Amino acid sequence: MKQKISNAITVTVFFLVIYGLLIANLISPDKAISYSERRELAKAPEFSYEELLDGEWLKGYEKYFLDQFVLRDKFRGLKAFTNYYLFREKDNNGIYVVDGVIYKIEYPLNEKSVLNAAKKLNEVYDKYLTGKRVSYAIIPDKNYFTAEEHGYLALDYDKMLEIMKSNVKNMTYIDLFEHLEIDDYYKTDIHWSQDKIVDIADLILSGFGQDKYASWDTYEEKSLYPFYGSYYGQSALNLKPDTIVYLTNDALEKAVVYDHIDKTYSRVYMEEFFGGVDSYDFFMSGAKSLLTVTNPNAKTDRELIIFRDSFGSSIAPLLLKGYSKVTLVDLRYLRTDILDNYLDFSVDCDVLFLYNTLILNNSYMLK
Amino acid sequence: MVFSSISFLYYFLAVFLGLYFIVPKKFKNSILLVSSLLFYFYGEPSYILIMLLSIVSGYLHGLWIDYKRNTPSAKVALISSIVVSGGFLLFFKYTNFFIKNINQIFSFKIPSLEIVMPIGISFYTFQILSYVIDVYRGDAKVQKNILNFATYVALFPQLIAGPIVRYTTIENELESRTHSLEKAAYGVWRFVIGLSKKVIFANSLGEICKIISKSDESSVFYYWMAAVLFALQIYYDFSGYSDMAIGLGRIFGFHFLENFNYPFISKSITEFWRRWHMSLGTWFRDYVYIPMGGNRVSKLKWVRNILVVWFLTGFWHGAEWNFIVWGLYFALLLALEKLFIKKLLDKTPDIFKHLYVFFFITVSFVIFNANSMGEAIGNIKGMFGLQGVPLITTEALYYARSYFIFFIIALIGATPIPAIVMKKISSIKAGEYLINIGKPATVLMLLLVVTGYLIDGSFNPFLYFRF
Repeated sequence: MKQKISNAITVTVFFLVIYGLLIANLISPDKAISYSERRELAKAPEFSYEELLDGEWLKGYEKYFLDQFVLRDKFRGLKAFTNYYLFREKDNNGIYVVDGVIYKIEYPLNEKSVLNAAKKLNEVYDKYLTGKRVSYAIIPDKNYFTAEEHGYLALDYDKMLEIMKSNVKNMTYIDLFEHLEIDDYYKTDIHWSQDKIVDIADLILSGFGQDKYASWDTYEEKSLYPFYGSYYGQSALNLKPDTIVYLTNDALEKAVVYDHIDKTYSRVYMEEFFGGVDSYDFFMSGAKSLLTVTNPNAKTDRELIIFRDSFGSSIAPLLLKGYSKVTLVDLRYLRTDILDNYLDFSVDCDVLFLYNTLILNNSYMLK
Repeated sequence: MVFSSISFLYYFLAVFLGLYFIVPKKFKNSILLVSSLLFYFYGEPSYILIMLLSIVSGYLHGLWIDYKRNTPSAKVALISSIVVSGGFLLFFKYTNFFIKNINQIFSFKIPSLEIVMPIGISFYTFQILSYVIDVYRGDAKVQKNILNFATYVALFPQLIAGPIVRYTTIENELESRTHSLEKAAYGVWRFVIGLSKKVIFANSLGEICKIISKSDESSVFYYWMAAVLFALQIYYDFSGYSDMAIGLGRIFGFHFLENFNYPFISKSITEFWRRWHMSLGTWFRDYVYIPMGGNRVSKLKWVRNILVVWFLTGFWHGAEWNFIVWGLYFALLLALEKLFIKKLLDKTPDIFKHLYVFFFITVSFVIFNANSMGEAIGNIKGMFGLQGVPLITTEALYYARSYFIFFIIALIGATPIPAIVMKKISSIKAGEYLINIGKPATVLMLLLVVTGYLIDGSFNPFLYFRF
């Protein structure tokens, strides 16, 4: 090819890309939400003279251009592809993939945070739970199963457990590490898959001695597809989404969930949240400070309180069979010192602290 | 606004490139000026007035010098221009530095001023100063058209990050320049390469440096990794920006001079500074060093000249003591090199020369990058195992493995190897054909990949913005 033709094509390509994307961006409608990134996308900022002069209005526009760029996910995928396959980097923004499963690096172990978590558990016990049957369990994050073996940075889980076991008082530790494996988790999400943790729920119930009060022993499996987990968008790779397989029966369909803060009623499984920004909100409506779910078929008056994170949303329905009520408390959104405004701790109940390792490593979010 | 942003690439550039080539010749400079002012306003809305005042000052002083040529008034005009332009720079960039140091020395409690340094002031001030000095010396004809002069100073390709373009370099092209497919293609190629250097390499290197700086797991290896990667980062950042400036300038018909010439292949510090940020080095040479006598003076005065130039070079880079120390560090090295080291270097194999340069340049950038001299000394101590940290840690090993291929590619890219290989390929007919197909394909691929990086990344600083 002659130099002249090459020059013409070079310039043409450049202008085609610049103008093509300009026109595409101008004519494509703005999107409100990025489902792959699970967040709202920036809108065009409103004009203000002050913000123009201090640069904030133009910064707002820069964010808007970035967020609303046409084929945004495809371009992010191009970057991920370049990093993984050309530069052979082990991770892209901390995200890595092994055998089709997406992980996010969590490193290093924050010993002070873990100790803080242990102190928080003790604080809640001392304030409200003296004399009650209390257990705690730690859910390993996905990295536990894969990171070290494949040469990725991993938390020192042994050290984490050692700190917790040495410092948490008055509670029975339930070891979940030996009962879980990577296949029990979603490929594209941080969480475990409900259909794979029936044995975990039974382990917890038998630990409290409530398995003998189980008001059901069968479930019907239902599934929802596609589930783009929290890591899916972050990976920016074209991987297969997950399927949410959930377990239900007549009792769970009839069970009522009460939100103490909003003072509203809902259901255990909220189909309307599937396909939203975070489909995992399907379980118990997602991130809520204080919920109580009632078992319509309860064989006991005993209640369970779970101090939990988001993992608790999917296991709580499986624990409900052993209790008349299960209350879920999320200390990330509700302060410890005002719990007795909402809950009557004089009622005899079982208490479970159920947190995953990522919360323990970043425990200062617990109030 | 920065070149490596979505707003610049797919909105600003698209609009103004189109307008530039549509309008008749007599309006092209106006389009450049308007676009340049808008470009600056986008990034610095409140301080555009300072730049405009500097432009008017430079323009009027140029006229005054020319009007009063060969009279003492011309010198007064020159001094006045230096005072005004230099005054703006001193005030906005260095006031708080002086206040801080006066307070420390005399235990005063003078409050700092709430001033922000206008973007690009170091660059456009030096451009204006070079213009008035060249007019005074008779090296440049005075520019009587204020719009043309403003276009020269504010020209957006080089406004905020250089290269420092001398007026004499583009004097003729301001009035009459040509455009061609060849120039446009060359400009596009340079611009896209520069953009890729900045977005793909500099930004990624910066992210690794950020990871290292935030890590709690210090190690000797990590100190060295941070130092070497930062040196590469600043090279790709700055040379990438220069490439973009040169490329854009060429598209518009201007021929800016090169600013970088593969500095990391240097075999001496002297050579390094003939390859790194050449527009700044030559500026100080022509407007400070040579007027002071250069090296045609006694040894003592020569040392004085070196110290002054390198003090100013360091100080130009930042209003902090570590930049001054960085400049004086090079003064010492260059003096020692001229007096003693060069004779020794000439007798050593090239590998040792490269190692010598690598070592001292790497250490220099540790000083350059630090927030304080204390931090710089701490980092250098860390590099030599004097901070009581292990040789290497799990985390350091992980990132070294993860970025190894990227690092090798970055290292090779900082040498003339890719250009030599391309030249060899194009020397054969089939190779020339391949290159002619490869270039447009590469432009397309790089533009798309860079867009991916920009959309995905929020980490996109330009290191020389603080100047």
